[in-house]
Amino acid sequence: MTFRHLANPLALLLAALAYFVPALAGGSPVAYGACTTIAILAVMSYGADLILSYLGEVSLGHTIFWAAGGYAAALLSVNAGWSGLPTAAAAVVVAMVLAVVLGLATLRTREFVFSLVTYAAAVVAMEIAFNWSFLGGSDGIVGIPPLTLAIGSWSVSANGNDQLWPIAWVVLMGTLLFIHRFRHSRLGTSALMVQMNPDLATALGIDARKVRLGVFVASAPISALAGWLYAYQRAYVGPDMFETYFLVLMLTAIVIVGRRLLLGPLIGTALIIVQQTFFSIGGDGDKIVLGSVLAAILLLWPRGLVGLWTVLRSRPGAPTR
Amino acid sequence: MNILQQLINGLVLGSGYALIAIGWTVLLGAARLVNFAHGQLYMLGAFVAWAVMTKLGVNYFLAVPIAVVALGLLGVVLQGLMLRPVMQQNLTSLMIVTLGFGYIFQGGASRLFGGDPERFVSPLQSAEIRIGEIWFTWQDVLTLVGTLVLFGVLWLVLNRTRVGAIVRSVAEDPKLAQLFGINAALVYIGVFVFECAAVALGAGLVAPRSPILTSMGFDEVILTFVVVVLGGIGSVTGSLIAGFGLGLFTALFGALVSSAYTTAAAFFVLLAFLVLRPRGLAAR
Repeated sequence: MTFRHLANPLALLLAALAYFVPALAGGSPVAYGACTTIAILAVMSYGADLILSYLGEVSLGHTIFWAAGGYAAALLSVNAGWSGLPTAAAAVVVAMVLAVVLGLATLRTREFVFSLVTYAAAVVAMEIAFNWSFLGGSDGIVGIPPLTLAIGSWSVSANGNDQLWPIAWVVLMGTLLFIHRFRHSRLGTSALMVQMNPDLATALGIDARKVRLGVFVASAPISALAGWLYAYQRAYVGPDMFETYFLVLMLTAIVIVGRRLLLGPLIGTALIIVQQTFFSIGGDGDKIVLGSVLAAILLLWPRGLVGLWTVLRSRPGAPTR
Repeated sequence: MNILQQLINGLVLGSGYALIAIGWTVLLGAARLVNFAHGQLYMLGAFVAWAVMTKLGVNYFLAVPIAVVALGLLGVVLQGLMLRPVMQQNLTSLMIVTLGFGYIFQGGASRLFGGDPERFVSPLQSAEIRIGEIWFTWQDVLTLVGTLVLFGVLWLVLNRTRVGAIVRSVAEDPKLAQLFGINAALVYIGVFVFECAAVALGAGLVAPRSPILTSMGFDEVILTFVVVVLGGIGSVTGSLIAGFGLGLFTALFGALVSSAYTTAAAFFVLLAFLVLRPRGLAAR
């Protein structure tokens, strides 16, 4: 009996339990709303997590893919009357095309130049969304119909957070499975090797640029699918999807528990949204809290709360392992 | 359209860009540190000067130096907090930390100063000079002259004094510099304080052109970044030239093509540049 054999039933049990969290939390509209939001924003964070944890770079441009998913859903459902699955496919395609363009443009950049170019790209994308009437300009796009998924004659329509939750749960579980598979894939292990020891990676015949581009393109559709769902949850998209809030939230969610942990971004997002939903101290106050948590974690326990736990355990006088 | 007028606008804009960027150039050159809170520091500089003027009745020419000193002190605090990762040169963490700081400033300023646009007025802004068809303000002259003086002084300090030699040696190799008894931590603090103070001066001179908002600062970061990369990372002379170049480009682009997309256009110039000459203008 190895841990690997145990892991799957345990993971399935946890996933099934996760489905009943909003019901266990009272089943109120607020509980369903918070859980759906957590699922959506966690999926968004997993997109950036792929870059930060496995490439070791800081992408500040993932709000582009997040917004691209939202805009794809909004434009196609409002103007062309498409239902949920085709708009999801469109969101994925649009995000991947954008990721290829941005990935190729940043292929030769590293560290802060990479971060700055992705950041600048996000600011420019916001400027375009804000000024281009095709994308609704500063007003955005209103009147997105309820999410309807149809396969053959079967179809389900989600109106309100309690009906949206099962879909958000499926997207979240699918993302977790994808990240889990990615970590053990050739691309995932190559990415880690490129980050840890680029010379060794090159010596083993790994093309660092191909790996970087591959991870970048793989990460974009994740954030885009989150944006796609967010558009249906709010029935509105606008240039506010480019706000720093989402960027800071992604990064905080990733670092708060610890990088390179499968459940890290999910737990991180849950902590942040629970604070903002149930213990909010006003919009500006929440900004201060979120920014402070992000800075404090990195300055005090750079490896996240998991690192703090190790520090506490190894303290003299603490119970021995 | 009057070409001469646009050239003058371009020079004025460009001197503003160079002035806002200079702190970053030095910080990046000497400490390899990227400060994503730069735009929010610009915002804070403008709001501190504005608050001192409106709440305490101090005049503009005293309010700007007060803002410069206040931001310099803030720089000491920030760099003190970041000292450990700075000494370890943990650049990934530092980038994210400064982003967090920027977010705190944005929330804090909005709480402190309110979310409405405010008018940060310089008496020189309304003092116009007209020569035939062309016009500009004394504020423009002040910005241009102030920028040239600051760049001149900075160049002299960095290249002709002992302090400059110490900063350059830390930039070159911090570990080796420490072996020779140079206190690298102190240099990092000094450079960071300079960045904060310089961006406050930039805000004091440039921000009166338009209403100020606590949510501003993003465009400033992009333009600063373009100036720093085009000028060659860490090059003082390069960033001055790049600032003027970018100013002329935005003035002409805004007049000839579209003023809504100037930041986007500047960014595409940068992308083209990164692909063609990744190391900037100063690279040989």
